[in-house]
Amino acid sequence: MSWETVIGLEIHVQLSTKSKLFSGGSTEFGAEANTHVDLIDMGLPGVLPVANKEAFYKAIRFGLATKAKINQTSSFDRKNYFYPDLPKGYQITQMTKPIVEKGSIKIYLDGSEKVINITRAHLEEDAGKSIHDLFDGETGVDLNRAGTPLLEIVSEPEISNAKEAVAYFKAIRQLVTFLDICDGNMAEGSMRCDVNVSIKKNDSSELGTRAELKNINSFKFIEKAINFEIDRQTKLLENGESVVQETRLYDSEKNETRSMRSKEEANDYRYFPCPDLLPVVISDKELIEIKENLPELPEEKEKRYVEDIGLDKSEAVIISSSKAMANMFEEASAKTNDAKLVAKWLVGDVSALLNKDNIEIDESKLSAENFGKLIERITDNTISGKIAKSVLEDIWENGSDVDKVIETKGLVQIQDESILEDIAQKVIQSNPDQVSAYLNGKDKLFGFFVGQIMKETQGKANPKSVNDILRRLLK
Amino acid sequence: MTIKYKSVKEFKEMISQKEISNKEIIQEVFNLIDDNKGLNAFITLNEENSIKKAEYFDNNPSELSLAGIPIAQKDLFCTKGLRTTCASNILNNFVPPYTATVIENLENAGCISVGKTNMDEFAMGSSNETSFFGNVHNPWGENLVPGGSSGGAAAAVAAGIVPAASGTDTGGSIRQPASLCGITGIKPTYGRISRWGMIAFASSLDQAGPMARTAEDCAILLNEMCSHDEKDTTSLDETVPNFQENLNKPLKGKKIGIVKDLDLSNLDNDVVEVFENSLKEFQSLGADLVDISLPNLALSVPTYYVVAPAECSSNLSRFDGVKFGRRSEHTKDLEELYVNTRSEGFGDEVKRRILIGSYVLSAGYYDAYYKKAQQVRRLIKNDFENAFSNVDVIMTPTTRGPAFEIGSKGNDPIQMYLEDLFTISANLAGLPALSLPNGFIDNKPIGLQIIGNFLDESSILNFAHMYQSETNWHMHTPEGIK
Amino acid sequence: MDKKTVTTISYLSRLKIDDEKEEKIIEDLDNIIKFVDQLNIIDTSDVAPLTNPLEKTAKTRKDIVTAKNLKKDLLEVAPSSNDDYFLVPRVVE
Repeated sequence: MSWETVIGLEIHVQLSTKSKLFSGGSTEFGAEANTHVDLIDMGLPGVLPVANKEAFYKAIRFGLATKAKINQTSSFDRKNYFYPDLPKGYQITQMTKPIVEKGSIKIYLDGSEKVINITRAHLEEDAGKSIHDLFDGETGVDLNRAGTPLLEIVSEPEISNAKEAVAYFKAIRQLVTFLDICDGNMAEGSMRCDVNVSIKKNDSSELGTRAELKNINSFKFIEKAINFEIDRQTKLLENGESVVQETRLYDSEKNETRSMRSKEEANDYRYFPCPDLLPVVISDKELIEIKENLPELPEEKEKRYVEDIGLDKSEAVIISSSKAMANMFEEASAKTNDAKLVAKWLVGDVSALLNKDNIEIDESKLSAENFGKLIERITDNTISGKIAKSVLEDIWENGSDVDKVIETKGLVQIQDESILEDIAQKVIQSNPDQVSAYLNGKDKLFGFFVGQIMKETQGKANPKSVNDILRRLLK
Repeated sequence: MTIKYKSVKEFKEMISQKEISNKEIIQEVFNLIDDNKGLNAFITLNEENSIKKAEYFDNNPSELSLAGIPIAQKDLFCTKGLRTTCASNILNNFVPPYTATVIENLENAGCISVGKTNMDEFAMGSSNETSFFGNVHNPWGENLVPGGSSGGAAAAVAAGIVPAASGTDTGGSIRQPASLCGITGIKPTYGRISRWGMIAFASSLDQAGPMARTAEDCAILLNEMCSHDEKDTTSLDETVPNFQENLNKPLKGKKIGIVKDLDLSNLDNDVVEVFENSLKEFQSLGADLVDISLPNLALSVPTYYVVAPAECSSNLSRFDGVKFGRRSEHTKDLEELYVNTRSEGFGDEVKRRILIGSYVLSAGYYDAYYKKAQQVRRLIKNDFENAFSNVDVIMTPTTRGPAFEIGSKGNDPIQMYLEDLFTISANLAGLPALSLPNGFIDNKPIGLQIIGNFLDESSILNFAHMYQSETNWHMHTPEGIK
Repeated sequence: MDKKTVTTISYLSRLKIDDEKEEKIIEDLDNIIKFVDQLNIIDTSDVAPLTNPLEKTAKTRKDIVTAKNLKKDLLEVAPSSNDDYFLVPRVVE
């Protein structure tokens, strides 16, 4: 009995507008509870929604980047249900006519490429937060988040396994951050994911009953939750039982999914057109402007890095993979005339430091300006590559200015040929045995002399000059 | 009582001639309210603030168009710092942190909001018998209903306590009580008056409007009430004309549409006679009667009773006891909180409409009911568009008869719904419509409805004013008012 | 309109019908639905539904924060709250 997995993802992306979808409340994360709640967010009697145009622009950018159909006239529907963090008792969403339809995105996995189609992406407002564990016997409600604009992106059920699901989620995250429509901050809940999982027999064209896994916001948990669920459903079907169509929560501590306690009747949302919101129209002129100002996407950057700048493909892929990395590279390169060297350091030493500290580049103390300056000091021979490594460590820890560090620690490279020659002579004279061993064929000893000179100069000797001088003197 | 039954225009005259001080006016108003407590026209009074504002105007005479004029505000408008209940137990203790735009407009024009008037709960009703705070009594007869849902507002004006009041009209709630209480009231074009701060019943039908003794007074108030409001995207961005400008235009050659599909044979002979007499009056003023057809008019009541409950079932979901309003004391878990708060907080009519609304929107019924009603609604709107290509205004009786006894429509909701037979279609189409007194039946007033084309309040006010210049139905006052 | 339907829509609306009123409510609702069934006599196959009588499009707002911190005012009118949150009975998911 061979089973095939069918997965579809619904990703909720919090759009990075300053104010909410239908009110002037702030969307800023992390504020004290209930301080960013406007009268409209509260759903007080008599209040009315007014749409935030920027949210539409951001949604359209997504549509353009995924080559989707853009519905320039947007209408809104009400989704009716009761929950403490849903102030109006309904959510304003787009059921009948989403702003974006029928797009697609490429995902890369193990060297191969797959296209996942996107059924639709629509605008809707986020709910507030219910806090269940802080108060004895009570749940606290914080409405700060209520009304924040969301773009709900729904994929076709074309994903076949957990790894593909993660790759798809990552691809969406990369896209929305590059488009500057979402900050992609998973820890803050900027992106949340519902996963629909079902399994069917290989030779069947009929889809199996699906379970919906709600509100997962980490790559690791998506993978684990899906795998658990596939396992659970397989076991059920192999035992002759059936899968119940239901919503399940993923428990990360126990690594299992379990059914949410909700009645079936609760699912009739009674969608109908919101009578308070007349349709919002994006003009052709606005659409053209959005198109022209679309930020450069990862694929385009990668191509440009390879073709115009001459980076290796592997370097280009790494640097273009995250907006923060790409920004660091581009801004730092602007300050030097050796973009390739910037790339080499970024992919090498800087990435190593990121891994060591387990942070993202925009969480580090390294500024593009400082990084650019570091590379410049190498290309203008102020410091050697080796010294630069220790300078990098310093500015990485402390965020101090590159020139200040070089000055304070006296790291300026010794360039003066006459000084170097004197030191070289000194070293040669102090090590007659090694000199004769070298001249008799022990080529490896060349490194010894270099090392001695470096020791004398505390590593500040210009390596190339040292090499040239030694070669001359050791003949 | 010098102020009783005076119109807004007369009030302005009195104030500017200094015949009476602003403070004396307000004091008299509150005396009248107190003397006529039996009407139960008010839910909350605003005495202290009203006196303060009156004193201010006494010390600082003002050119504002409504300076010092006492106005009663329907308790459906949010008023900052002043309790706003919608005549419901669930908002029994609600004090809004903001004021509705229309009230702000009136107050910025100088009016003094003396109190919040009683109404049918959440504006659902045609007799003011569904209020949590008790029935309102018609000044024309103690056991008579004043009409609804703006029953308290109509009673306060009819009894001469205030010269004007704000009302709201979703299916006839300004016009029907105006007819049953012998006063004048107008529902403007949908979108003329901002709905910001108006507690929503049916968002695509609700509209505020003035209720007063004359069409001219209505025009004066309407000038101030209408505005484009950025906070309400359904608010019209059209220039607000001066509604007083064309009141005296001669009616010669104007055309009045008479709906030939309207079967008046069900009505009492008296009602038909009063209606036909009014038409004769307009003919003597020079207007012509033209037969028009509104073929889908008969479906306006069932259409309304799908659309309005659907919208209200959703609009009233926010009353859940979580963030504001009254919460039940029996709340052992979340489900109990919701069910008990709402069941204790809402009256029977509100519950009925919420249930109908949920039903017509639910999966499986949506197409047959809600979508269908929306489609018929468009047909009704189209009918009016066609009719108005031939006529300036359309006239019908406002109600099927004069005020009925409290409790007499008793147990049959549909009988109550049919009260709105003539008025509902204007809400469905978004058109302006007015009711003015045009006669008496068994010593009880009754009204004439004038419906206008989109944005054409001026024509209906013109017709009404010219009629009121030639007749005096609007000047009758009830006996038994202290 | 039978008891089961009324139970379902009551649940969706979070309303409780008292036992003694139940029969009347079912009857009333049934009559109202029969009354509105009249709509089906007319053919509306090519008619576009009308959601709002204004045939216009909405104005939108610029993306700026205009709201002030209303925390104190909002929590004050709440039926149950502490210094920071609105409170409801504990919700179990």
